[in-house]
Amino acid sequence: METAQLRQPPRMPQRNVLVVGSGPIVIGQAAEFDYAGVQACRALHEDGHRVVLVNSNPATIMTDPEVADAVYLEPLTVSSLERIIERERPDAILPTLGGQTGLNLAVELHEAGVLARFGVELLGTPVETIELAEDRERFKLKMLEIGEPVPESTVVTAVEPGVAFARVRGYPLVVRPAYTLGGTGGGIVRNERELRETLASGLSASLIHQVLLETSLLGWKEIEYEVLRDGAGNCIVVCNMENLDPVGVHTGDSIVVAPSQTLSDTDYHMLRTSSLNVVRALDVRGGCNIQFALHPTTGEYRIIEVNPRVSRSSALASKATGYPIAKISTRIALGETLDRIPNPVTGVTKAAYEPALDYVVVKIPRWPFDKFPLADTRLGTQMKSTGESMGIGRTFQAALVKALRGLDLNRETLTGNGHEQWTAEELDGVIERPTHERLFAVAESLRGGLRRGDADAAVARIAGLSAIDRFWLYEILELVAFEEGLRAAGDAPDLPGALRNGYSRNAVARLCGSAAVSQGTSFRMVDTAAAEFPAKSPYYYMSYGEADDMRPTAREAVVVVGSGPIRIGQGIEFDYSCVHAAWALREAGYAAAIVNNNPETVSTDFDISDLLVFEPPGADEVEATYLATKARGVMLAFGGQTAINLAEELARRGVRILGNDRASLDMAEDREKFDAALSRLGVARPEGKAARSFREARAIARELGFPVLVRPSYVLGGRGMEIVYNEGQLASYAESAPPILPDAPLLVDRYVRGLEVEVDAVFDGEDILIPGIFEHIERAGIHSGDSIGVYPAQTVGEEMERRIVDATAAIARELRIRGPINIQFVIDGDRLFIIEANPRASRTVPIIQKATGVNIVAAAVRIALGERLREMPYGTGLVARAPFVVVKIPVFSFAKMRGVETILGPEMKSTGEVLGIDTTFAGALRKGFIGAGVRLPGTGGNILVSIADEEKDDSIPILRRYKALGHALYATPGTREHLESAGIVCRPVNKIADGSPHVLDLIASRGVDLVINDASGRHELSDNYKIRRAAVEANVACLTSLDTARALAEALESNDGPPRTLQAYRRMHALA
Amino acid sequence: MKQAALFLADGTRFDGGGLDYEGLALGEAVFYTGMTGYEEALTDPSYAGQILTFTYPMIGNYGVSGAAAQYPRACVAGAVIKRIARHPSHRSSRQDLPSWLVEQRVPTLLDADTRAIAIALREHGTIWAALAVGDAALASAEARLTAFARSATTKDLVAGVAARAQRREGPPDAPRVVLIDCGVKRAILRDLEALGVGVTVVPYDATAQEIMLHEPQAVFISPGPGDPTDLPQTIETLRALLGKRPLFGVCLGHQLIAIACGASTFKLPYGHRGGNHPVKDLLRGDVIITAHNHGYAVDSSSLPPSLEETMVNLNDGTNEGFRHRELPVAAVQFHPEASPGPSDARLVFAQWLASVGIGP
Repeated sequence: METAQLRQPPRMPQRNVLVVGSGPIVIGQAAEFDYAGVQACRALHEDGHRVVLVNSNPATIMTDPEVADAVYLEPLTVSSLERIIERERPDAILPTLGGQTGLNLAVELHEAGVLARFGVELLGTPVETIELAEDRERFKLKMLEIGEPVPESTVVTAVEPGVAFARVRGYPLVVRPAYTLGGTGGGIVRNERELRETLASGLSASLIHQVLLETSLLGWKEIEYEVLRDGAGNCIVVCNMENLDPVGVHTGDSIVVAPSQTLSDTDYHMLRTSSLNVVRALDVRGGCNIQFALHPTTGEYRIIEVNPRVSRSSALASKATGYPIAKISTRIALGETLDRIPNPVTGVTKAAYEPALDYVVVKIPRWPFDKFPLADTRLGTQMKSTGESMGIGRTFQAALVKALRGLDLNRETLTGNGHEQWTAEELDGVIERPTHERLFAVAESLRGGLRRGDADAAVARIAGLSAIDRFWLYEILELVAFEEGLRAAGDAPDLPGALRNGYSRNAVARLCGSAAVSQGTSFRMVDTAAAEFPAKSPYYYMSYGEADDMRPTAREAVVVVGSGPIRIGQGIEFDYSCVHAAWALREAGYAAAIVNNNPETVSTDFDISDLLVFEPPGADEVEATYLATKARGVMLAFGGQTAINLAEELARRGVRILGNDRASLDMAEDREKFDAALSRLGVARPEGKAARSFREARAIARELGFPVLVRPSYVLGGRGMEIVYNEGQLASYAESAPPILPDAPLLVDRYVRGLEVEVDAVFDGEDILIPGIFEHIERAGIHSGDSIGVYPAQTVGEEMERRIVDATAAIARELRIRGPINIQFVIDGDRLFIIEANPRASRTVPIIQKATGVNIVAAAVRIALGERLREMPYGTGLVARAPFVVVKIPVFSFAKMRGVETILGPEMKSTGEVLGIDTTFAGALRKGFIGAGVRLPGTGGNILVSIADEEKDDSIPILRRYKALGHALYATPGTREHLESAGIVCRPVNKIADGSPHVLDLIASRGVDLVINDASGRHELSDNYKIRRAAVEANVACLTSLDTARALAEALESNDGPPRTLQAYRRMHALA
Repeated sequence: MKQAALFLADGTRFDGGGLDYEGLALGEAVFYTGMTGYEEALTDPSYAGQILTFTYPMIGNYGVSGAAAQYPRACVAGAVIKRIARHPSHRSSRQDLPSWLVEQRVPTLLDADTRAIAIALREHGTIWAALAVGDAALASAEARLTAFARSATTKDLVAGVAARAQRREGPPDAPRVVLIDCGVKRAILRDLEALGVGVTVVPYDATAQEIMLHEPQAVFISPGPGDPTDLPQTIETLRALLGKRPLFGVCLGHQLIAIACGASTFKLPYGHRGGNHPVKDLLRGDVIITAHNHGYAVDSSSLPPSLEETMVNLNDGTNEGFRHRELPVAAVQFHPEASPGPSDARLVFAQWLASVGIGP
C-alpha cells in the first residue's frame, strides 16, 4: 500500500482555472475549439480543479453547466474578461485552447496588466512564445538564430515599403497579416495593383497593423507536423500531414492526407527534427502546429508558420490518430510531463509515444459556394471553407472516396458530376488556378486521358499545371479508371472492389444500374499503435474484405446519426444535439453508437460515446453499424437534414428507426401532405400555390397580391427562395432561377410580413413539452438562422402563446411526432400562420436548452426509447418564462468571402452565433451585439444610411434615436432628401456616379462607424451592394434590416448588467 | 496477379496476391510499425531470416533510392504489404519497389490483411511462418513449414550477414575504433565516420587478440539478427576485452555486452520493430523517441552489480541502456543511427566517443 502511494505523482493543489473559448463559429475558427475546450475542461475536472469558462457561443458543449463549474456566456472582450476575472479570481488562465481568439485575448489581458493585477498565472506556453510566433519579424530572426530556414521576407507596416520590396524581389509574393485567423486579409499577389490592394486590406485586418511580405513558395509540397512538448523538454510528434494541394492554397482549404505519403524516411525525419528544434527554441508547453514547405526536386525546406496552440490541424490530427492532443496539452499546461501521463487509448502505455497508423486519413474541405453564387471561388491563402469531411480507409483511395462522399454534396464519385461538359480550357484553368472544383477537374482531365489512351501524358500535364505530386495523380487515375470500369460493367459490377475503394452501394448502382447486397464489411479500430498494443478505444472505421475488430458493447446499443461537415445552415448546433443524445442514451442504460465524419466536433471524440464509427453518415454505414452492434434502433432526429434524409432508405433496408419515423418525416417534407394535415387542423398557412411555369407564377402573384415569396419546391435552408415585391422583380427572378421542372414546381406564397416566432418542442404522442418560445427581431422574410432571436418572447401575449402551444401540439400529433419538432410561425396582428415545421432537433435546440435548462434532447431520446414525458422530470406544456432575457445574434464571415452579397433574406448566410444574457432585454441585446463583434459607436459616431424607398417612413423614428444618441448621419441624396423633409439633418455624401469623394471613399477611409443599408437590389453592380461590400472590407458593421437597426439603437441607449454565470441564471429561473 | 499466402505455424493462413517472383520464404514472422523507411527495413541485416509484415498499408510510395539501403541486398526472407505503389514519386527514386523486390528475389505477399497478421503475431507471439508465391510454392508451403518449424534455428543468421573478413575504413591517422560486425547497418558506419573516426570492421567471431592487434581506442559491437546466446564466441571476445578497451554496443551488441558482464537476455513476446518507442533516460530524466528492431531484450533484473541501468522503455519497462560502474563500457538497445526512424538519439555516438576521449 505504502509503495503504491509513493509511486503516485504528488497531487497538485486544486486550482481555479479560467478557460477562454473561441467565440462564434466563423470561417477559420470553428467547432474544433469546442472539441479542444471540452477535452480541456474534462481533464481539469479529472484532476480535481475548478473550471471557469467564458465563451459567447451558445451552441457549444463546453458552455454546458455540466462541463464547467462556472459558465459565462459573455462577450469575449478584454473588459468583459476583466469583469469576470475580478468576480471569479481564478488562479490561472489556460489560453491555448480557444483558438486565435482565446490566444489574442490572453495576450491582451497580459499586456493590459489584468493578469498581473489579479495574480492570474498564465498556464502552458508562455506569452513571449505566443508573441514571438505571431510577430513575423521576431519569429524570422529566431528561426535564423537556430538555423531553421524561413522564406525570404520583409515586415511592413505601410504599403509603400512593401512595393519597394517587390521591386527588388519580384512577384509572386505572399501577403500575411500578423494576428489574424484563417489568413484574413492576406493572399498571393502577382503584380503591383494586387499588392497594393492586398497590403491595404491585410494591414487593416492585422491587430498590430503589421504584414509579412514573403517570397512565394508556390508549388512546393506543404507538410504539417503536430508536436507536443512538456515543461521538462520532452517532445513528441503526434502526426504529420501532407497537403495534396501544394503551397498556395490555405491548409484549411486543402485536401490533407495523414500521414504524409510522398515523404521518404529521411524527409520525414528531417522535418520531424526541425519541428522539435522549433518547439524547443520557442519553449512551447503543450500542442504546437508547424507548417513546412518542402521543395519537390531539391529537398530543401522552409518553415512557413508556427501555431503554438491547439488548432484545426490538431483536431484533425487527434481524430486521425486517436491521440487526444487537447487533453494532453491541458495536463502539460498544469505541469505534468509526457512520461507520467497515461496513454488514454491503450491505458497501459504513456502519453510520451508517437502514434503509428495502419490506415490513411483524408480530409476534404466543405465550401459554402453553393450558398453564395456571387462569391469568388478561387482558393488562395485566405481560408474560405466552413467545415470538413474526413475519411479513414486502409488505402488513400478508400479514404479519399469516403471523404468525398462525406461532403454531403450528392457527389458519390470523382467523375460524372457534370464536369464532362467542361471544355479542356475550363478544366486546365481550374487545375492551374484552383477553385473548390479542382479535384473534380483533375479527375475529369484524367478520364479524358484514359479515353484517349494516354493517361501518362494527362498525369504529366496536370502535374505541370498544378504542381500536384504525380503520386496523387496516379492514385486518382486508378479510381477514375475504376469508375469507368463500373460504367461499362452492366449488371456485373465489381462490387467488392467498389466497397474496398470506399464507394457506396448507391454509387455503384448509379454507375452501372445494379448493386446487390454484399457481405464483407468490417470494422477496424483506430488504436494509435498499428495493433502493436491492445487498445481500449471504441473508435472504428470501416473496411472491406478484412477481419473485424469490433467488440460487442456491454449494453444494448442505439445508433445516433451525426450531421457531417459544418456548412451554413447545418452547423455545430446539430453536433450539440448528437452529443446530448449520446449522453442521454448512456444515462438511460444503453450503449450510444455515433456515426459521423466531422473531424472538428465533440461528437467524434471517442470519449463521448460508447462506440464511434468514423464514417460518412450514409445509409451503408448506418445500416452496417446497426447490424454489427445488433442495435435496438437508429435515431435520426439529431443529425440535421443529413440524418433525416436517410429515413426512407434505412426503412427500406429494414433498419428500425426510433422516435420520429419515416411517415412523419415525409409529411413535413412533402408540402401537399403537410398542407392537407394543416387544413384538417385548421392551422393557417400563408396562401400560396404551386406554379408550373413563370407565366403561371405571375398570375398567382397577381391573385395573391405582392409581395410574394417564391421558391423551388423540395429545397432546404431557403435556397433559391426570394421575396418579390413587383412583377419586374419576379421577371428577373425568373431569369436567374433554374428552370421549373414538371415534378418540382415553383411555390408562390403570399408574404406575411409579421413577427416571426420559433418553437422547439418534444411530443410523446400525448403530451407536449415546450421549453420556451423564441421571437425574432427581424420580421419574417429573413432566414431564422440569420435573425436575432429573443427568449422569452417579448411581445407575444398570453393568448397568442396559448394558441402557439395548441398549434404546436396539434401539428406534432398530426405528424405523429415521437421526439423533437421545430416550428416557425408568423404573427400578423391577431392572425397566426405556420411557415415551416421540421421533424427534428433544430439549430435553436442548444440555445433553448442553455437558456431554460430543459434538456429536450434527453427528453426526445427517452420518448424514442418508449418513455412518456410524464415519467420524466421536465414537466409538460410550456415551461414558465425565465426571469432574464437571452438574445441570439447571428455572426457572419463576409470578410472571408469576397464578392458575397451581405443583405439578409430567406437564404441563410450566417456561420455562427453568440448569446447575450442579462436581466433586461436591452442589456442582453447589448451584450449580444458586443459579443458578435459589432463595435458600438459611442456618442459622436458617424452612421451612413441608405434606406429602401418602401422603408423610408419606417426608418424615421429609428434614425431619430441615433440622432438623439449624438451620432451624425450621412446619407446619399435620395435618402437625405426624405430624412431632411422629416426634420432629420444629414450630412451629404456623393453617390458613386457623382464622383469622388463618394460614399465608398467615405467607408474606405473609415469615415463612418456603422452602415445601415437595407436597400435590396438584385444586381451585384448596384451602389447598395458596393456600399455593403465596402463596409465588410473596411471592417465596419453593416446592418441590412431596419429591425436590426432598431434593436441596436435600443442596445446603445441602455447599459448591460454585470456578468453572471449560467448556473446563477438557472437558479434565478428555478426560484422564479 | 499471382496467388500468394502467408502460413503461420499455428495453422493460420492469410491470402493475397504475389509479385512476379515466385518462391517460398521460411522464417520468423514479425511486423514493423514504422510508416516510412521500407527500403531501410528491407535491407536491414537484423531482419535476416524474418518474414516482415508492414503494418502501414501503403508501401513503396517514394520508390527505392539505393542510397537508403543499409546493406548491399535485401535482407528479409519475405515481405507482406497491404498495398504496394507501382507509380512512386520522389526525387531520389531510382526504381519502383515491386520491381526491386522481384529483382532481389524477395517473395512478397500483397493485398493481405496486414492488421490481422499483426494482431495474430501480437496475440500468439513471434512464430515460424512460410510465405509462398505461385502455385508450386503454395502447394508445398505447409509441409515445408512443418519440417522447418521442427528444426528451425536462428544460429546461422549472423554468419549470413556479417563481414567475412576485416577491412579498414576512414583515414589512417584518425582515431581508430574496431567494429565487431554482427550485421551492421551502413548508417552506423556513416555516423561513426562522420564523427571523424576510422573504423576497422572485423567479423563477429574475431578474437580479442585479433582485435587488439588493430590497437583500437575503443570497440563497437554492432546490431544484428537473432538470439545473442547463439554467439558464445563473440561473448567470449567481449569478456576478454572488458577492462582492456572501452566498449559500446547497439541492439544485439547491447545484449552481447550484457551477457559478457553476467546479465541474461530473454525473448520478447513479439519484439519491438518500429520508430516510435519512447525511451526514458534515467540519468537525465527525459524521454526520447527511438528506432527499434529487436526480438530479444536484456533482463534488467539480471543486471550484475557492476552494471547500472541507464535507460528504460516506457511502453513495457524493458531495458534500453546500461553502463558499467567502473569501466568505460556502455550500450543501448535502440538504434541511435535511426535509418529508419527518428534521430532523437543522434548524439549518443558522439557522446560515447567523447566520454572515452575520442572525437572532436
